[in-house]
Amino acid sequence: MNYTFHWLPAFRALPDMLWGALVTLEIAVLSMVLGVFFAVLLAVGASSKYRVFRAAAVSWVELARNTPALFQIYMAYFGLGSLGIHLDSFVALLAGITFNNAGYLAETFRGGLRAVPQTQLRAARSLGMGQIQAFRLVMMPQMFRIVFYPLTNQMVWAILMTSLGVIVGLNDDLTGVTQEYNVRSFRTFEYFALAAVIYYLLAKFVTVSARLMAWRLFRY
Amino acid sequence: MAKGFGILAAAALTLAAVLPAQADKLDDIIASGTLRCAVVLDFPPMGSRDANNEPIGFDVDYCNDLAKALGVKAEVVETPFPDRIPALVSGRVDVGVASTSDTLERAKTAGFTIPYFAFTMVVLTKDGVGIKDYDSLKGKKTGSVSGTFEAMALESDVKKWGAGTTFRGYQNQADVFLALSQGQIDATVVTSTVAAAIVKEGKYKGLMMGGDAPYDIDYVALIALRNEQGLLNYLNLFVNQQVRTGRYKALYDKWIGLGEAPSLTVPGVYR
Repeated sequence: MNYTFHWLPAFRALPDMLWGALVTLEIAVLSMVLGVFFAVLLAVGASSKYRVFRAAAVSWVELARNTPALFQIYMAYFGLGSLGIHLDSFVALLAGITFNNAGYLAETFRGGLRAVPQTQLRAARSLGMGQIQAFRLVMMPQMFRIVFYPLTNQMVWAILMTSLGVIVGLNDDLTGVTQEYNVRSFRTFEYFALAAVIYYLLAKFVTVSARLMAWRLFRY
Repeated sequence: MAKGFGILAAAALTLAAVLPAQADKLDDIIASGTLRCAVVLDFPPMGSRDANNEPIGFDVDYCNDLAKALGVKAEVVETPFPDRIPALVSGRVDVGVASTSDTLERAKTAGFTIPYFAFTMVVLTKDGVGIKDYDSLKGKKTGSVSGTFEAMALESDVKKWGAGTTFRGYQNQADVFLALSQGQIDATVVTSTVAAAIVKEGKYKGLMMGGDAPYDIDYVALIALRNEQGLLNYLNLFVNQQVRTGRYKALYDKWIGLGEAPSLTVPGVYR
């Protein structure tokens, strides 16, 4: 390869890139919180007796899971823009990833709930618990245990998806900052390598802390 | 005898192994019979696509001229602005004929020829936003193509103006025009040639000029790998010949056509 690495100037960009990583983390966390909220609504909606709610929930999940995240984010920005609804780049990215997260998490929750045997509910009821009590004290903890790792997976996925923000003009997240430095100096490989390491560390931080949390939470 | 053959064979092998390594990029291009040019194709009139999706424009013709001079076939590789250097370094293209501004920062990475074109910048805005000149951009939402000369100049001014004025960097020119026509941004700064072409084309409704941007003249150069001095030397002579033979003016009249072809020299200094 006809290329000599210039690491020193790249390292000088590190503080800016770390600020970018903070924005990345912010978007990912917000998209997960909102995603879980909407996923619960979707899971409830999918088993609703009203056809309208069922149809809405099913089409959300289908669209979110079967189209590229890039397309969803682009639509949130330029698609809504053509209808006169102007989302800021940050909001459009957040909306796109939340849409995606909610779709995947709805299925995760549905699967988690189905994985807990119905006999558990019946056993709890026969012990004298009410419907809600049985759900909260017996079903929920078991479901949470099952969906916990898929949840952390989705969180990692959300962090990585924030890199798509550049297509809607976001220039202050990690990829945005990296791209700015890149185009200014043309030192693509150095900056992208640094960004990759930071993404790796962010993702690793999430999985390791999830593991530690699981160790604390799920002890018998 | 057998031993002599062995030595001869070994010598021949060594020669064969050593010779190709000494061929430089210029040799490689001539030997391969194809010149691969990185051209930005959402940047009319420098590069765009015609009704049949074929690449056309000043840069496309420039690449064809270069290939003809080298006696090889031209291959236009569509390359968005931010991907020009990666395309070059990864060996997907041989030269960039891609309106690349010759900044000192970039010259640490890529090899630049003498300028082959020069741009002046104008503000492009939309009806009813109330932007008449560059100063009225203060407090407005602006955006441009990430990595271009004008994007860097605009962003540094936006930072200077401070709170209220925003800047967004998009990945290609088409997205900037889309964002502008939809109202995601109020104004952008683009080269006067692009602005004229896009307003005339009328694909995006309501776009209009908002006066000149007070930047330095944006000299753009051909780019090649930094260490390919042989190729860069050839390219420099080629740029010179394009002007000398009148081809530069002909291409300017064909694709831009307004006024005089911009001068490519800076008074008072060599190069």
